[in-house]
Amino acid sequence: MKKIIISFFAIILLVACKNEPPYIVKIEGKQLPVNEDINSKNEIEEYIKPYKEKVEKEMSTVLSYTPIELNRIDGELESSLGNLLADMCYQRANPVFNSRTGKNIDFAMFNYGGIRSGISQGNITVENAFNLMPFENTLVVVELTAEKIKELVNYLILAKRAHPISKQLNLAVKKNGYTLKINSKTIDDTKTYFVLTSDYLQNGGDRMDFFKNPVNLYTLDYKVRNAIIDYFKETDTVKVKLDGRLRNEK
Amino acid sequence: MKRRNFIQKSTAVTAFLTLGGFSLQSFAEKSTKHITILHTNDVHSHIEPFPINDSRYPNQGGVARRATLVESIRKENPNTLLLDAGDIFQGTPYFNFYGGELEFKLMSMLNYDAATIGNHDFDNSIDGLYAQLPHAKFDFLSANYNFKNTVLDTHVKPYKVFVKEGIKIGVFGLGIELKGLVDPKMYKETKYLDPIEIAQDITQTLKVDEDCDLIICLSHLGYNYKQEHQKIGDLTLASKTKDIDLIIGGHTHTFLPKPTVTKNIVGENVLVNQVGCYGINLGRIDFYFDKDYNKASKGKSIIV
Repeated sequence: MKKIIISFFAIILLVACKNEPPYIVKIEGKQLPVNEDINSKNEIEEYIKPYKEKVEKEMSTVLSYTPIELNRIDGELESSLGNLLADMCYQRANPVFNSRTGKNIDFAMFNYGGIRSGISQGNITVENAFNLMPFENTLVVVELTAEKIKELVNYLILAKRAHPISKQLNLAVKKNGYTLKINSKTIDDTKTYFVLTSDYLQNGGDRMDFFKNPVNLYTLDYKVRNAIIDYFKETDTVKVKLDGRLRNEK
Repeated sequence: MKRRNFIQKSTAVTAFLTLGGFSLQSFAEKSTKHITILHTNDVHSHIEPFPINDSRYPNQGGVARRATLVESIRKENPNTLLLDAGDIFQGTPYFNFYGGELEFKLMSMLNYDAATIGNHDFDNSIDGLYAQLPHAKFDFLSANYNFKNTVLDTHVKPYKVFVKEGIKIGVFGLGIELKGLVDPKMYKETKYLDPIEIAQDITQTLKVDEDCDLIICLSHLGYNYKQEHQKIGDLTLASKTKDIDLIIGGHTHTFLPKPTVTKNIVGENVLVNQVGCYGINLGRIDFYFDKDYNKASKGKSIIV
């Protein structure tokens, strides 16, 4: 009898237990700042240390030298760093493009906002390259119609900004219109042009819509930062000047 | 107290009442339970705190500080889960030099329980992510990426059920559409599936088949897309599903003044939270459970 009572009781309990799910009665939510008020866990800091030291050593590796400060604000519609960036990407990318297609890139164009940091006079290190180009953008070549090139030119004129352009393009903004030369030639409406830019801008970044839906798109599998690093590696002293490739003649 | 007196006085029925009494007491003790959910998103390889002279986040963040914070909360409540909503990779040279190895190792040292996959976690291609998996001692959860024809096949689960103090916590992951955001060469044959449909299925599985008491979605969809209506953000997800208690978001680097309380498709409250980016904040959501229906029937109080 006792046994029966016990098992009966146990069953009741089990059933009661199973039938009562835990209900949520209260929820509290907050955000905890991670700042200097919290001590760093020593074990973690020690673990990071060798990685940190190697990164720092790598980042301080000297690649090249610049006798002047390079920045994006030393000209009106061009800049020392903008000219350098566009020219060096052209110089590194054109042999790759040529070997694959047998064609040459006409010019390179990037965006002013993409120059994330200047370079001080003196040694140029890996860190400078990372600061200049912290993103993983890759180089692409877009084949554009002459009409799209004119859209590109109008964008430049309206933007009134020193967007990085390589030296193959020469644009004078005049009171009523402009004069444009690409590789010393006026634009040929029947021709298509090969423009080097980044995947970010090709996808419509900075509203450069003329890069969207090109005649052809060639990906180079070459990161912008790697092109920068490779250029610095092969260049003992960087020489750059403001040459008026993009200028105001109003 | 009364019951004890009764047991002491009536020796004849001691045996079964002791048994019953003991059981009752143990239920009573555990009638209230407390689960803590800690979360990060879009840490983007920020291992160290920002420099003191940083213009945006001076001296903020840092994995070693996060470790201290997580440890102290775990001491306070061992029934804690630590989760990440994706974009672990990309943002500092640590990623460029080590490919995510250090990020995963440190997250493992902090005892992360699960993470979902962000678009930037494909930045070294799906193979780069796969190569780092041995360093991660936590699970990757994604329900709407079909990895069948990729190296990640069988390495990513749609969901995982954690049991903490008898409470079953179902956690599932959702990722953003990769097309247009990531080079197809990087994500290869990864198939993106509709997150809302998948969430509706998974929540049923978790609620009905797995009998979960708490359902959490780890989302890298982004908080909300006011301009682009066709894009699905966490607020849309919340409004078109049911049974999700908490959506932990990422991708849009959204700093919320406090967790958002919104309604699901049947008018119940859902919490949506996201803590900005770069590990400068840790999200904390505490869930209190009670078996007492009378208490529960008064509804849950949400304090944010």
